[in-house]
Amino acid sequence: MIITNNLSKRYGDQTALENLNLNIKEGDIYCLLGANGAGKTTTINLLLGFIEPSSGSAFINQLSVHENLKATKRFLAYIPENLMLYPSLSAMENLEYFSGIAGKKLSSQQLKDFLEEAGLQSEAFQKRISNFSKGMRQKVGIAIALAKDAKVLLLDEPTSGLDPKASNEFGLLLQKLRTKGVATLMATHDLFRAKEVATHIGIMKDGQLKQQFVTKDLSLQQLEEAYLNTMKYKELAS
Amino acid sequence: MLSYNFKYELKLLLRSRWIQLLSIILLLLFGFSTFNGLHKIEKRKKDITAAHSEVEENDAMMLKLLDSVEQGMEVSASRWTIPTSPMAVGNYHPRVAAMEPQPLAFMATGQADLFTHYVKPKVSGDDHTLNFAEMTSPVQLLFGSFDLAFVIVYLLPLLIIAFSYNVLSSERESGSLRLLASQPIRIRSWVLQKMGLRFFWLSVIVLYALCIVFFMVSPPLEQVSAFLGLFGLIIAYMLFWFALAFLINLWIGRSAKNAVALLGLWIAFVLLIPSVLNQLGNTLYPIPSRTLMINEMRSLKAEVTKKQDEILDNFLRDHPEYAINDTTQFRGFYHRYMASQRLIKEELAPMINAYEDQLRKQQDWVGIFKWFSPAIIVQESLNQRAGTSTQDYEDYRKQVVSFAGSWREHFMPFLYNNKNFSQKDYPDLPKFQFVPKSFSSLLTVPLLFLISIGLFGLGFFVSTKMEKNGILTTS
Repeated sequence: MIITNNLSKRYGDQTALENLNLNIKEGDIYCLLGANGAGKTTTINLLLGFIEPSSGSAFINQLSVHENLKATKRFLAYIPENLMLYPSLSAMENLEYFSGIAGKKLSSQQLKDFLEEAGLQSEAFQKRISNFSKGMRQKVGIAIALAKDAKVLLLDEPTSGLDPKASNEFGLLLQKLRTKGVATLMATHDLFRAKEVATHIGIMKDGQLKQQFVTKDLSLQQLEEAYLNTMKYKELAS
Repeated sequence: MLSYNFKYELKLLLRSRWIQLLSIILLLLFGFSTFNGLHKIEKRKKDITAAHSEVEENDAMMLKLLDSVEQGMEVSASRWTIPTSPMAVGNYHPRVAAMEPQPLAFMATGQADLFTHYVKPKVSGDDHTLNFAEMTSPVQLLFGSFDLAFVIVYLLPLLIIAFSYNVLSSERESGSLRLLASQPIRIRSWVLQKMGLRFFWLSVIVLYALCIVFFMVSPPLEQVSAFLGLFGLIIAYMLFWFALAFLINLWIGRSAKNAVALLGLWIAFVLLIPSVLNQLGNTLYPIPSRTLMINEMRSLKAEVTKKQDEILDNFLRDHPEYAINDTTQFRGFYHRYMASQRLIKEELAPMINAYEDQLRKQQDWVGIFKWFSPAIIVQESLNQRAGTSTQDYEDYRKQVVSFAGSWREHFMPFLYNNKNFSQKDYPDLPKFQFVPKSFSSLLTVPLLFLISIGLFGLGFFVSTKMEKNGILTTS
């Protein structure tokens, strides 16, 4: 679903991403861990086509992102760290608008079903987004992904700033999407959540993917040690 | 995408207090400026009616006096003013040569502040001394008139700027642009559609405002097409400003910068270019000093006055129809004066032509370079539609000069044949009827549309590259 081949991005002398190779399959949840500036958001921006790669290529659903910019966006949904929707529109209206411009015409009942599936309480459906918490907005974002029937989900720090309950609910939603075959790439700092939801974990540093794991093969403690070692926080790791 | 953009942009507009306020302000501006314009027109009509009434009263007195004289009664009036003298009629009972306001005159003051709307040409007066200048408040000249043209040319672009400067940048600044850009849409098309909806919304408000204006003016039905033409002109002008806002939205990132850039363009197009063109016109084609011209005229007249006998002889040689065989009749002051007037007119012609020539060159200069500023084009077009443009007043002046000639010529046979003016001659007195011409150009609206479409095209062309580089879609 998501493939990158030696994907690189340089800004002058600065390397933001270097030879990234990923292969995220249907139903996989791949978590990219790393400190700020590690290249996680650059990877997502490249997959969204927001920026052009300096070299290498990225594919979504077997289509080259930069040659089929519009077509690849039909298959993907994106939830940034701060999902900003239209505050003067309700959850239903935001969902209808974003799925509408993505080419999905949905009935009122379908909209409600998607919001419900995303875990939003029914009394919030008609409320304006301006009154929503971050967690509630993330749920609308998931509803947009569901409505769009996205095959690929790109998440940029989606759980940062969420309380543990909301974060947990978000994790469950990702699991639900996984069962539907959605390939998810999530950039995060949250090791615990990554261990909870991911099928695969990659640790990035200085624009390079330093380590990759299958999540079930390691414990949270091992993950933490691997992360701290990669980051060279040796005293903390020991 | 279009239907959803349309539906939700409309919802957002309807829910935005700022947009509601702007719409109300626009309606109020249209209403107030129309009221103001109508008030001025009323005053102009009243002045003209009063001038006509004064002439009617004078005529009634003149006819009474003539009746008394014709019945052999003695009248207590100065010999010069008794209306049996054709010169007395020609000088003391002139007709009103009025420029009646056109049906749309309320919308653009144009030159109406500078020129009078009626004059009374006298038989012994000079054409060049006819005073067309209006006594106007200097404060009003300084600030201009608050008419519909002012609202359209000056204020409407500001409302458009307030309405559209942050269509894209607000999305970028609020963070929703990233979510939008992750959808299978082209951002420039999305911006264009949003602009289109805002343009449509403002057009509806303008149409609604024009309906209110129409209701206030209640013009004759044949003026409906003029209103539609006016609507077309406003729409074309609005489209130009929306096209600029589209370009700025695509090229510049931040709302504050967009606003400053658009206000800079407003200053350039609405204030700077018209002013610079005017200054350049004055520098390149300076108009000869009017004071010098009048001084020259005076000295010429003084010279001519010295040789009035000779002039009269020449005049009578050229006009054998006025030859008198009856030696009891005389040639007096007016015979000499009117003969010299013709000579003065001929002698002054080159000087006046030079003055008018320079004026025409200035106007031609502005005519060529007006396309640098749509504000000039629209102001000119509104003045033309209102019948208050420079051409309208020039045409009126020409018609008055022509009428003044007819008025003078009418009394020449009376004067040189030493014939008295009588009651039965009264109905034959020439009357002035202003015939307005249309100076409105049919090209203005299509050309404005073309310029705007060109700007939209330019925005699309340039933004293709920028979008490819990710400039439009990343925050």
